[in-house]
Amino acid sequence: MSSYISAENINLTFRPKNREAVTALSEFNIDIEQGQFVSIVGPSGCGKSTFLNVLLGLIPPNTGVMSVNGRTVTGPGTDRAMVFQEFGLLPWRTVAHNVELGLELQGVAKGPRRETCQGFIKMVGLTGFENHYPHELSGGMKQRVGLARALASDPDVLLMDEPFAALDAQTRDIMQAELLRIWHEAKKTVLFVTHQIEEAVYLSDHVIVMTKRPGRTKKLVPIDLPRPRDYEMRVSPRFNELKLEIWNELKDELSVGGDEDSGHA
Amino acid sequence: MNAWIYEKRRLLLGVAAVILFFLVWEVIFSGLVKLNPLFMSKPSLIWSGFMYDLKSGKVLFELMVSVRPFLFGFIAAVVVGIVVGTFMGWRQKVGYALDPLMTALYASPLVAVAPLVIIIFGVGVPGKTFLIFVLSVFPFIFNTYAGVKAVDQLLVNVVRSMGGNDKDIYFKVIVPSVLPYIIAGGRYAIGRALVGILVGEFYAASAGIGYMIAFYGDMYAIDRMFAYILIMMVIAVAFTEGIRWAERAAFPWRVGM
Amino acid sequence: MATSTVEPSTYIAPPPAEETYYEAHEPTILGGGFILAVFAVWELYPAIFGLSKGMKLFFATPSDIIAALYSLLILNEKLPMVGTIWQHFNASTGTFLFGLGLSIIVALPLGVVLGRSQTVDAMFDPFITAFNATPRLVFLPIVLIWFGVGFWTVIAIVFLGAVFPLLINTYAGVKNADKLLINVVRSFGANEWQINKLVVLPNSLPFIIAGLRLAIGRAILGVVVAEFFGGTEFGLGVIMVQASQSYRVDILFAVLIIFMVVSLLITAAVKQIENRLSRWRPAKIKTF
Repeated sequence: MSSYISAENINLTFRPKNREAVTALSEFNIDIEQGQFVSIVGPSGCGKSTFLNVLLGLIPPNTGVMSVNGRTVTGPGTDRAMVFQEFGLLPWRTVAHNVELGLELQGVAKGPRRETCQGFIKMVGLTGFENHYPHELSGGMKQRVGLARALASDPDVLLMDEPFAALDAQTRDIMQAELLRIWHEAKKTVLFVTHQIEEAVYLSDHVIVMTKRPGRTKKLVPIDLPRPRDYEMRVSPRFNELKLEIWNELKDELSVGGDEDSGHA
Repeated sequence: MNAWIYEKRRLLLGVAAVILFFLVWEVIFSGLVKLNPLFMSKPSLIWSGFMYDLKSGKVLFELMVSVRPFLFGFIAAVVVGIVVGTFMGWRQKVGYALDPLMTALYASPLVAVAPLVIIIFGVGVPGKTFLIFVLSVFPFIFNTYAGVKAVDQLLVNVVRSMGGNDKDIYFKVIVPSVLPYIIAGGRYAIGRALVGILVGEFYAASAGIGYMIAFYGDMYAIDRMFAYILIMMVIAVAFTEGIRWAERAAFPWRVGM
Repeated sequence: MATSTVEPSTYIAPPPAEETYYEAHEPTILGGGFILAVFAVWELYPAIFGLSKGMKLFFATPSDIIAALYSLLILNEKLPMVGTIWQHFNASTGTFLFGLGLSIIVALPLGVVLGRSQTVDAMFDPFITAFNATPRLVFLPIVLIWFGVGFWTVIAIVFLGAVFPLLINTYAGVKNADKLLINVVRSFGANEWQINKLVVLPNSLPFIIAGLRLAIGRAILGVVVAEFFGGTEFGLGVIMVQASQSYRVDILFAVLIIFMVVSLLITAAVKQIENRLSRWRPAKIKTF
């Protein structure tokens, strides 16, 4: 049985020189099929963002094997791209130049690069804003740029680290719908980390619930809602059952007065 | 123990680097390279040169020669700078009127008037005092000006709404907001004042730390010259770092000054 | 009941008071006026109150200075010392550019290294603090001994003056580089060199330019002071010393004004570059 994205017994402990060691991931396992939309929910500091960084290749695990499509992850690669919570746009680059970043680093020539990116800028609905600088954009628009940038390098896997956490509630709703539309269009495997159970249920094929630190997979909840999903579905009985099921898994993991900030907007 | 080392790592590395620097300097000229005493010196020679002048009372004497004009000039700069700066910030029209002229003077290399100043005031205390004053007054003017302008009107209104009178506004709002600016200005001014004393004493003088550096240089007494250069450096670092430390201690609420 | 209410639709707001020409240009008028007033007093003082014989020696009115500027800069007349003012000007410009260029070549790479490596930074910190706090002029005598009287001594002083603001600002800019952005470009496969090119340098550019502005001021100061003592034959600083020794106060002030104008022009130009380069930043933090 070989799945598309697989994590086998990942262990990761941070050892800052002068402080106590922190075990972020312990015996962490995950299996994800190609083309799926999978969300990871868990208490603050459970290591879900850390896992994304391991998958992205920014942090090597102490032990365990992380692989994508049968290839072991040893560093960043063009088959994976991340959408960051705080957008991570280069402030001195225009929208178009930001979207081109990945292709530029792959050595794609200017002409084709521009052309490709034009398409993705259109896909995220930012046509006309190519020459704006990030500080001239709203939060939602910034994250559209982040999404276009990740898609432009044509990765197989899209990693999203609480991408909508910094947005206000309405913008967040719009972006969720947009993301689903784009996901249908682009046909990527998506790994989506979030705090919000509702967001996870609405978007995903599967929701992974993680334990508190050191993070481990606690439960895999299949989301059997039909697609395409629409806004009304959020008030359906099945939607609420799923939300409750995940909440029940999660609530035991939330320590009262948790030691970390969980106050995301 | 380990945690302590980690915490003080920066400091320890810095101290180690300084010790290493003097050690390497000493070792190089103690065998590796033949020391030409007319061209170079080494820490041990500098130290004995320094001790010689220290014991004879020369260091203290020269220091006092430099300190007097420095104090006069600097204190005059503080007083004049704060008064002018306050006026400029307090009365908008005064600010408008003085700003361009002061900016032009601040931006221009005023050291250039040194030869003239020395000719007019002579090589003694008055000439040096005037030079130091001219060089160090502008940071005080501009920082006070900026500080007074930056006083938060909201805070003035808050104090007033709680029944504060003019005196309260002055001591509870204006002084605390302007003071950090003035002290930051003092940090710049110190450097410029030290330039003033050096130029004054290099150019025409018969005593003082700056004069001794030039004098021993002319005499090719490199060890003694280095001793006075190091004295000057220690004084400069003590002043600027002292002010920095005082800033942090007195205004912990200021971020990134 | 006759109440004098004004219906909202019929109420016409009074036209905004016309701003007078004076109100619109108050800062310029007051600032320019004050400078003119200073010049007027300066010009007329000797005519009205007279000067003592001794003071006459040290006095030059603005008209004297303008006359000197005209004859030196426009007519290109020979100085009473040596050569023409333009020869001295070119000599000083050469020194300035050479010394500043040298400090840029040294400060930028070193600043990047210090900003990226905590260990190297910690070891260099005491030296940078000490040298930056001390007026570099203090090294003039030793520089004279090492480099001899003339060109290289002057260059060394200019270099020492300009290098530290640049170094410190480059360092601060590099150090300030956003960790998130570094991770972003790394995640797209950037190597260390590309990280520097894509994130670290653009991020520190505004810092570097601000450092450059400081460095230019220090370099000009360095040119003046080094030429006072450095023993070169040509240079505006040389002229100033000689002019004051021969009581040519008009020439002294003429050169001082040249320095002033050049400083202001260069500073304004760098400010312009700074604004151009920081188009990507929100306006409120544009001025550094």
